[in-house]
Amino acid sequence: MTLRRPVAPRALHPGAWWLWALGLATAASRTTNPWLLLLILAVAGHVVTARRTDAPWARSFAVFLKLGLVVLAIRVVGQTLFGAAASGNVLLDLPELPLPAWAAGVTLGGPITDAALAAALLDGLRLATVLACIGAANALANPRRLLASAPAALYEVGVAVVVALSFAPSLVTGVQRIRAARRLRGRPDRGLRSIVSVAMPVLEDALERSLALAAAMDSRGYGRRAGVSRAVRRRTAVLTLAGLGGVLVGLYGLLDGTGPPWLGVPVLLGGILVAMLALRSAGTGVVRTRYRPDPWAGPEWLTVGTGVLAAAGGVVTTVTAPGALLPDPLPLTAVPLPVMAATGILLALLPAWGTPPPPALASTPRRDDASRTHRPAPSTSTSNSSEVAA
Amino acid sequence: MSASLPTGRAERDPASQAVRPARTRAQLLLGPRTVIALLLVSAVGFVAFTWPLLASPDSGLAHASDAPLLFALLLPLLLAVVLAQLAEGGMDAKTVAMLGVLAAVGAALRPLGTGVAGFEPVFFLLVLAGRAYGPGFGFVLGALTLFSSALLTAGVGPWLPFQMLGAAWVGAGAGLLPGRLRGAGELAVLAGYAAVAGLAYGLLLNLSFWPFAIGTGSSISFVAGDPLVDNLGRFLAFTLVTSLGFDIPRAVVTAALVLLTGRPILRALRRAGRRAAFDVAINFSPTDDRTSSAEATAPHAGAPAHGEPRDG
Repeated sequence: MTLRRPVAPRALHPGAWWLWALGLATAASRTTNPWLLLLILAVAGHVVTARRTDAPWARSFAVFLKLGLVVLAIRVVGQTLFGAAASGNVLLDLPELPLPAWAAGVTLGGPITDAALAAALLDGLRLATVLACIGAANALANPRRLLASAPAALYEVGVAVVVALSFAPSLVTGVQRIRAARRLRGRPDRGLRSIVSVAMPVLEDALERSLALAAAMDSRGYGRRAGVSRAVRRRTAVLTLAGLGGVLVGLYGLLDGTGPPWLGVPVLLGGILVAMLALRSAGTGVVRTRYRPDPWAGPEWLTVGTGVLAAAGGVVTTVTAPGALLPDPLPLTAVPLPVMAATGILLALLPAWGTPPPPALASTPRRDDASRTHRPAPSTSTSNSSEVAA
Repeated sequence: MSASLPTGRAERDPASQAVRPARTRAQLLLGPRTVIALLLVSAVGFVAFTWPLLASPDSGLAHASDAPLLFALLLPLLLAVVLAQLAEGGMDAKTVAMLGVLAAVGAALRPLGTGVAGFEPVFFLLVLAGRAYGPGFGFVLGALTLFSSALLTAGVGPWLPFQMLGAAWVGAGAGLLPGRLRGAGELAVLAGYAAVAGLAYGLLLNLSFWPFAIGTGSSISFVAGDPLVDNLGRFLAFTLVTSLGFDIPRAVVTAALVLLTGRPILRALRRAGRRAAFDVAINFSPTDDRTSSAEATAPHAGAPAHGEPRDG
């Protein structure tokens, strides 16, 4: 794939990366075919190495890979120690420990068969792959920009999170400052007793700042809402309660499984839809423009589209050749490679070339410094504060 | 302190769109609609945690692979809806700032817990803040603390919605404790609650992790449709093996932290809550009873802190 003209570096919309990764994760969660899972791991790893930045969060792919290894280990160890008797060739016969009566049904030890071990290994690999996909999203998407594109109804909550993200680093410097002050006064700055006497001033300082911040925000119109008519309020409330109730009833129908079939998935989906509408309706009370919104252009569509294709390949194969997605793992040479699912996954490799390269961090990004309390939310700006008390 | 505040005033009284009711604390008003929404989301969340115990064998969720994914995608939407509803009920600049700052404190405390087995320092802050500012505030603070912490460490994973909901419950529960207690009795109740909440949080998170961690093949996996007691026995065996060694120390440490630091932290939080009362309703009608409360709180409004001990 060749590019006709050089593309200016820019960060891809974080939502696009998340949808792409969720598509891959969906494909991974539907299969225990080792070839497909390894293919997904390779695709995610390649795109991450091609498109990640030097930002701190870009390291999380490796963290999630290690976490996946831990999950894999738990799976295999759990299967080894607690595995119920399964078919297959016995590899190792551990002595079986007798357990007290209350633990009826739980076996500890016993024979380990190759089939059970392979199944545990592949199931663990599937979870590790899903985790790796989530890790890829964490590594590629800028969490602050994702926050900036949260729905309008979550404006206040989003501001609170932005305050938290900006304020947390300065807490650490606050602790260092107060410990330095204690050292200068000849008081202990280590040990259990000093923790409380360091923590309390830090907390008081934090609360003090929150008051200053609240006063500054209040005087600039944050936390105010445009006048929302009672009809809209009522509509939001009705949609919220109906959506949540629908989800609850749908889940009940799904769990029970004995009721009429329409009580399960259809009601659940309807509830989800109505809940989304409620979120949108609640957003009408927030009339604000976005400051420097992230563009959603061709590369974003490409990224999301390939993610959807990867998931679709998996789902289609579930229907056409279910055996290929959940194969008998032994012998490994007989495990087939379903072409449709593999093609979908390979298409998810396209964002490695089809997206603009990430901006280099040479130009330091604007710091969201919490000391500038007069701008609590740098990514958003008020355009309307029509409702001012008194 | 308690949920029996002037609930839903903004919804009933059209005049309050122009003049907001005077408040003395940076807390969230819980209108009846918000309470119902909270209860509904909590019910869905309860199912999201306990479905391995409840699912019948012929249900659509009985296979372990789909349900965790479903709930990991469903819970964020529901949390967003209920947080939007809470924000609509009355989240002003004070509440937003206080939430942000306390969530930052919690997020900064969280990495301290990763090195030591079972030490999770977030909970004692959640318990104390929920106690000081009420159940609505505690709910939002619990959810936002875990969310900010995950964003800071780039650890957004399928476990995050479950953690957010669990921590939100911990904070909200602290706000629902009986309101009149003060002094040593209050600390004792809070410490007991913190221990129980820490243990329950660990068990619930474990329950959500159970189908993930061990699958369906082993003798400590869940069996869809089995009697509740049998599944519970297997779950307890799983907990015993994996995480009880973390959960019990965590409960003890959280309770001890509440006992040790509860008094000064509660005092600081309540004082900040009182000082946040600069949002007095200015009302020109002399017959309104709100004028008196405005006068009572106005002299403290935004007063700078003189001569406070900054250290020690």
